[in-house]
Amino acid sequence: MNMGGAIRAIISFLIFVVLHYTLRPLLGWRAPMDFLILALLLASVRVRPATAAVLGFVLGLISDSLAPGALGAGAIAMTVVGFGASYLKAVFFADNLVLNAFFFFLGKWVFDILYFIGEQRVHGVELLQQLLLWSPLSAAVTAAVGVLLLFLMRPLLEPTPA
Amino acid sequence: MQRALRSNTRFDLIVLASCFVLALAARALPDTMREPIATGMRRTFLAPLVMLQERAERGRQSLLQADAKQSHLDSLSLASMKAGELEVENDRLRKLIGLGSRVRYGFIPAEALHGRGVRDETTVILSAGSRAGVSRLSPVIAPEGLVGVVDQVDPTMSHAMLWTHPDFRVSAMSPDGSAFGIAQAHLSGDIGSYLIELRGVPFRATLKPGAVIVSSGWGGVWPRGIPIGTVLQEIKTSEGWARTYLLRPAVNPADAYSVMILRRERLAKGLDGVWESATQVDQAAQRIVVSGDSAAKAAALAEAAARRAVLDSMARANGAPPLGAVDTAGRAPRVVAPPPRPAPRPTPADTGTPVRRDTIRPDTTRRDTIIRTDTIPLQPEAHR
Repeated sequence: MNMGGAIRAIISFLIFVVLHYTLRPLLGWRAPMDFLILALLLASVRVRPATAAVLGFVLGLISDSLAPGALGAGAIAMTVVGFGASYLKAVFFADNLVLNAFFFFLGKWVFDILYFIGEQRVHGVELLQQLLLWSPLSAAVTAAVGVLLLFLMRPLLEPTPA
Repeated sequence: MQRALRSNTRFDLIVLASCFVLALAARALPDTMREPIATGMRRTFLAPLVMLQERAERGRQSLLQADAKQSHLDSLSLASMKAGELEVENDRLRKLIGLGSRVRYGFIPAEALHGRGVRDETTVILSAGSRAGVSRLSPVIAPEGLVGVVDQVDPTMSHAMLWTHPDFRVSAMSPDGSAFGIAQAHLSGDIGSYLIELRGVPFRATLKPGAVIVSSGWGGVWPRGIPIGTVLQEIKTSEGWARTYLLRPAVNPADAYSVMILRRERLAKGLDGVWESATQVDQAAQRIVVSGDSAAKAAALAEAAARRAVLDSMARANGAPPLGAVDTAGRAPRVVAPPPRPAPRPTPADTGTPVRRDTIRPDTTRRDTIIRTDTIPLQPEAHR
């Protein structure tokens, strides 16, 4: 990735982070979209797995700092998701919107599973309901929004022709 | 090549393991250590994000409360609109209660229901009927004066003819009894609608604009003393033997909502003094207001005169003519302030008697008692 592509990727990353802290609370949906996961996934496929793991760790700590009771849970989940996304980029890094949507859906769902298990705040039926109902819903919304943003931000995210 | 790839993979796994261990360590921290770390992050490099989130939350709350606030605002607007109407109605009811206390007995309070038909302006439905004691030709009055007369009576309601009706007539007079006539609606609209004509006034009787006209009590329908209106002007008619005056009605039919129906037995006693007392109260209040204005005016004039006197004194001290005397030969008359009073005479110390300063008049002061400073002192050589 050249310099211009890196700058555009960083700008896209920052836009997703800002959207996470502005649009998400403004909408206040019960199954919200997760722009941090989208940012992590889009960045992870462009960097090495080690960098993606560090990026996931930092993003996880950022999200956890706003919920101190779960400090560390988000960091664990995002580290794994970031590393996994970067490791599997050969599979998912394709110019196919459906495949990208599945990539976003899977990333968000895995994150939620790891997060809620690591957080240990909800248990039993409530945990199952969260993981099998609300998390897939949230993952679906995240995937839909991710695809939409991917389409809208294509000029920023496209690799520069050599 | 394979070695480099294997080395890279090993490095990635080491970094992953390090991040994982760090995250686990953060998760395993006790609450006492976890909270300061999170707080430190929120207060430093995450502060802009926290601020963004707060604003977004606030925006969401505003959006959620917008409908409730709008409905609350609408309710307040509606209540404020009703408040004005209630105030007017309250005032009207107070006046009605005041009239009731002056009439004392023999009346039936009723609501006047204005119709929406063709003859709206001339008739009205009253919410009291024969069961309440209303009978045909019962007078209908309001706190301001005459409204109409009952022409049809049902058990629970009645129908009244307002003074605007073409068939309505009432015998009227001036309060001092110097002029009599018949009051009826002024039907020609050349001067103005909703006015009353006072017809048949003897030629020798002249009414000035503003004179109050009341019912005379003749005819047995209306008691004496109910205000009908005030004289606006005399109008010319084809009748050469009598005068006709145009009256401003005491009661606007459109404003008559709460009225009183007088019982037949009350008519014989008359209503003398019922409206006079109210008029006296109004006149007394007006006199108080006018006297207050006069006092304020007098005080302002006195203050202006005092200021002018001070300015004149200063002008004299500077050798200039007094301000009030500059244009004494001018065309406009001016108030000339009195000259400044001379310095009071020093009191002799050996007399011991108090001197009343206000008894010293400058124009009657004897010259030999004043110490003159403008005369040349006597030189010793002059005696030689």
